[in-house]
Amino acid sequence: MGGLHAHSFLKIVLFLGLALPLQSLASEAYQLLRGDPAGYAAVVPGKALKFPEDHLPHPDYRIEWWYLTANLIDASGAHYDVHWTLFRQSMSPLADPGGWSSNQVWMAHAALSTPEGHVYQQQFARGGIGQAGVESTTSNKVPANPESTTATDSPNQFQAWLDNGMLKGQGSAPLPGQLSFTVEGFEVSLNLDVVTPWVLQGDAGYSRKSSLGQASYYYSQPHITITGQVTRNQHTTNLTGQGWLDREWSSQPLAPNQPGWDWLSVHLDDGHALMVYRLRQDDGEDWISGSWITPEGQATSLNKIDIVFEPIRHTTLKTGANSHHKLPLHWRVALPGLGRSWTVAPRSEDHWLNTAFPYWEGPVTLDGTTTGQGFLELTGYPESQ
Amino acid sequence: MKRQFKQTIWVFVTLISHYRRHPGQALTMALGLISGVALWAAVQLINDHARSSYAEADQLLGAEARYWIRSDNGLGVAVADYIGLRRAGFEQLYPVIETQVRDAQGRSVAIIATDLLALPVGNGIGSSARYSNPFGASSWLALIQADYQAWYPQSLASQLGIEPGQQLVLASGERLPPALIQTQTQQGQRVFMDIAAAMAILGTDTFSYLGVGRLSKLEHLRLAALLPATLKLVTNHQALDLAQVTESLHTHLTALGLLSFAVGLFIVFNAVRFSLLARQGTLTTLREMGISLGMLSIAIIAESLLWTLFGTSLGLVMGYALSQLLLPAMAMSLQSLYAAELGSLIGIQPEQVLLAFGLSLTGVVLALTLPLWLRARESIRRQRDTAAQWQQDQRGIRWLALVAMGLLGLAAVLYPWMASIEQGFLMLALLMFGGALLLPWLVLGLIKTCARLLPKHQWLLRWAVSDALAQLPHLRIALMALLLTLTANIGVTTLVGSFRTALGDWLETRLAADIYVQSESLDIEAIKQAAWLSGYSPRIGLDLRWQNRPTSIRGLDLTAPDTVDMVLVQDHGVLDHGGQNQQAQDQALQAWRAGDSPVIPILANEQVQYLAHTPLGSIIELPTPAGPRRFKIVGYVHDYGNSSLAFYLPGETVMAHWPAAELLGAGLWLSEPAAQIDPDWLSSRLSALGVKPGQWVLQGEIKRISFAIFDRTFAITATLNTLTLLVAGLSLLTALLAVHQQRLPEYAHWRSMGVNFSQWLQIAALPLLLMLAVTLLLALPLGFSLSWLLINKLNVIAFGWTMPLLWSWWPLAKLGILTLGIVLTTLTVSVVRVRQTLPTAIKQLAGDSG
Repeated sequence: MGGLHAHSFLKIVLFLGLALPLQSLASEAYQLLRGDPAGYAAVVPGKALKFPEDHLPHPDYRIEWWYLTANLIDASGAHYDVHWTLFRQSMSPLADPGGWSSNQVWMAHAALSTPEGHVYQQQFARGGIGQAGVESTTSNKVPANPESTTATDSPNQFQAWLDNGMLKGQGSAPLPGQLSFTVEGFEVSLNLDVVTPWVLQGDAGYSRKSSLGQASYYYSQPHITITGQVTRNQHTTNLTGQGWLDREWSSQPLAPNQPGWDWLSVHLDDGHALMVYRLRQDDGEDWISGSWITPEGQATSLNKIDIVFEPIRHTTLKTGANSHHKLPLHWRVALPGLGRSWTVAPRSEDHWLNTAFPYWEGPVTLDGTTTGQGFLELTGYPESQ
Repeated sequence: MKRQFKQTIWVFVTLISHYRRHPGQALTMALGLISGVALWAAVQLINDHARSSYAEADQLLGAEARYWIRSDNGLGVAVADYIGLRRAGFEQLYPVIETQVRDAQGRSVAIIATDLLALPVGNGIGSSARYSNPFGASSWLALIQADYQAWYPQSLASQLGIEPGQQLVLASGERLPPALIQTQTQQGQRVFMDIAAAMAILGTDTFSYLGVGRLSKLEHLRLAALLPATLKLVTNHQALDLAQVTESLHTHLTALGLLSFAVGLFIVFNAVRFSLLARQGTLTTLREMGISLGMLSIAIIAESLLWTLFGTSLGLVMGYALSQLLLPAMAMSLQSLYAAELGSLIGIQPEQVLLAFGLSLTGVVLALTLPLWLRARESIRRQRDTAAQWQQDQRGIRWLALVAMGLLGLAAVLYPWMASIEQGFLMLALLMFGGALLLPWLVLGLIKTCARLLPKHQWLLRWAVSDALAQLPHLRIALMALLLTLTANIGVTTLVGSFRTALGDWLETRLAADIYVQSESLDIEAIKQAAWLSGYSPRIGLDLRWQNRPTSIRGLDLTAPDTVDMVLVQDHGVLDHGGQNQQAQDQALQAWRAGDSPVIPILANEQVQYLAHTPLGSIIELPTPAGPRRFKIVGYVHDYGNSSLAFYLPGETVMAHWPAAELLGAGLWLSEPAAQIDPDWLSSRLSALGVKPGQWVLQGEIKRISFAIFDRTFAITATLNTLTLLVAGLSLLTALLAVHQQRLPEYAHWRSMGVNFSQWLQIAALPLLLMLAVTLLLALPLGFSLSWLLINKLNVIAFGWTMPLLWSWWPLAKLGILTLGIVLTTLTVSVVRVRQTLPTAIKQLAGDSG
């Protein structure tokens, strides 16, 4: 489930209050993703995605996200890695009354790895009051933040924001555009350039998640060229690198027998991009899927039989004052049909996000047929005893 | 070594086996210790809880509010301004609506609302984020979606009679969301709800203020620069201010708690006295058997520790229960007096347990260990000599009297230097304990005088009087405890009565208008033209800080009826209270109205005089936008119940110096008597003037609320007083039971000599009544002195307001009757007990002589 960043929605569910012992938190939190989709719009095959409309929110679906990851370096080659996400959730299947009565809730995650370490932040906002949202503004509409008004505003400009974290398109699409946010005193500002088309994942954007019919609409932009900077204490570092944007929405993306997932997106040094994910199932028959994307943005969907995606070893991390998690941070990935194989290793183990719903997400390097780098995401792992 | 240990254990068991034979004494000891510790602990727990609540006063549901963003014009903070600031990166801001509404029954209900989603609480950083989130463990989805929820703390729900799911109906006709009995940190006695619900119910589209968390220096500058002109960033001094203004109240409570503990100790003293008498033989026998003093000491220490542990643990449990009972009333009082919010859950800290243990250990050492050890040390020969003990007792009473004189003398010497509330309580303690220690000597003197003066043929009376000499040693400690509680009762009763009268008189003059309106949307022009109104008095003002205290500046309309009739603080004829006589007052008011002196005359509340130590005639400097301005204090006004400093100037002067001063509200006078006005008619008329339901209140209603707050505030004092009096009564009962039990053989002798029951009753009861009379008579001057000190000294130091002392006999008569009732009950119980046991004693007597 590409951009399986849906995990973060679990944080909302938790935040919104499940009075449960911690042991059962993870599994119960997933309940939102497995919850009865009745009343919400259903994800069905054969629907053609339309742009720019589908860049904007789909409030009749329960959950949705705009998710960007990036591997960057400074002038000296030191690594800086970024992920920024905006999530939307409908709290009820009824039509959104808007304003202070809105049934939409927003959440943003911002994380930054620097040579000094890893910082992150999560924020929430209610919909309807302008604190967060995704919309296409026209130039005669006054933006809520006067500072954001710039001469480049065009008649239809895409904006996704929560507080001062914002992804702003140059036109009605999110890309090309700018991403700016602050996290723990770091001000991040990135220019995002693209030349390749959007990649529709799965079957023309219809992405199945289980043999039981769970699915989402899913498209990506795997080839984002980034220049930008990070500023802290009036000290600015210039950055360049590559990024990946995922867009996904659904009303029930997880099957009842799926406790969590592992997801990997990488840029290979020969210009190809690869995305694979594994939905772990209670019966051991994991749901594995992915896509292989050429430098020109031509994608091939991959199924379970095309992909080897398996942990090499597990690492026990201290993830809190009294908690540990045993996580598969080292992987073997192979596409036997294309004669390619790699080993995946984390750039640093310290990428545990101890948010309302904790998970691991961080930069990885690839070694094998070619080299590369990307992001790995591990969710739904229970606390080690 | 092992043998010695065994022997010590054996001595210990022998010593405490006494309590098996005399369970009554064990019970009394336990009662004294437990009740003493419990009353003290209850007060201590409430005080500590309140203090820790103040420390959190700059937080809301776990989010910090180091600063506030408030509007300059009283119109509140607009949503667009808030969103603009959030989008400019100030994520430490959150919107708050905090207000008082009136429900359909006219009760005032405090509401606090915020946006939980925006609240900067543990933003996912650090391992404790999941747990520090106050909402993590409860379902609050229902809170933020229609129909919403209103969260009531249990005590508030009980007070308002709200059941889960019920909707409180407001005076405006709106309904609060369905109730949930649930409380969050720093919620206090307020109804909590989602800000969207509050905005809908209150019909507002602005916030009361924005809470602002931690700001770096740069962020502070950037935020201040970014604020729209109508908004200002102000530092939140609430935690500091609350700790400051409530300090006196807590010192008061601590003193009451310690008094309760002292009375508890008296009971322990009392019990030990009798256990000593009964154990005298055991101690002597043990010494005669060659048990060393060291071993005896160890056994005594072991017994003391056992008592301490027992008393502390049970006392703490009872104290905790009591504090839970008293907390809601206390919380309501603090909210209405100081706008201080107390949490609903009291926790016990290890330090409090240690403190309680230390206190009761000190008590046990004083009351049990020391006398027991002294007795054990005495030479064996002396221990068998009862005549020597009787002489020792008489000497003891004289010694006590000397100590009493010393204490009272010390009080007299220290009096001129009394300046702080702690010193004030030291003075009270010296006075009360001096009086108590003097009591046995006075009783002894009276008995001796009566014995000399009574004619020879009044043999029964003479017998009764001389029997008093035999009863006195046994009852004197109980009498002293009774005296202490009576004195405290008289003192506090007089204080409360005087205060209530002063408050009533003051409200009468201060609340001259028929209706008070608090609204920023008041249409002054319409008010001037309304025929159904005969007058109005707008109040303008602003709040600032002066001498690092919250201070309000109020502008009054010189032509308004209540300003015309303004009264300054009168000279009560006591102390240096800075009151003015009528002529001086008239001149001062005239100068204040004219305002044309080189230094502008200003009026202040009494708190300025006593809390800020600014005497009449002082030149003061107040901060204005154009820099500091000088004013001369020409008079003081009473301002009961206000914890802030306040200055009063003609409205025009205020506007000239502080252009940002806003209209706070107005007093309105009706053309017809208020009693004849139909409330619905009034409501519709006021609506036409821009006053919404809930924004106005009738004068009588304010008085009712004021007195309700007053009575609730003193309810704790009254409860503690009554409990202490009951404890003292119990002490007297146990003393009487013990003395009669001990003298049973003597009574058996009398009976066999032909003394009938009614004669015996006179002999037994008359001395008690005599002693009681002395106690009551001594309690009167002591109580008067106490109330004088409380009203004229402690009250002024603590709260900064003065009032005349009103000596009223009726409450004192009630107290006397109550005391007499308690004494007669204890006497009856002890007499019944003697009647029951006397036959056995006579039989024993017959057996002994046979």
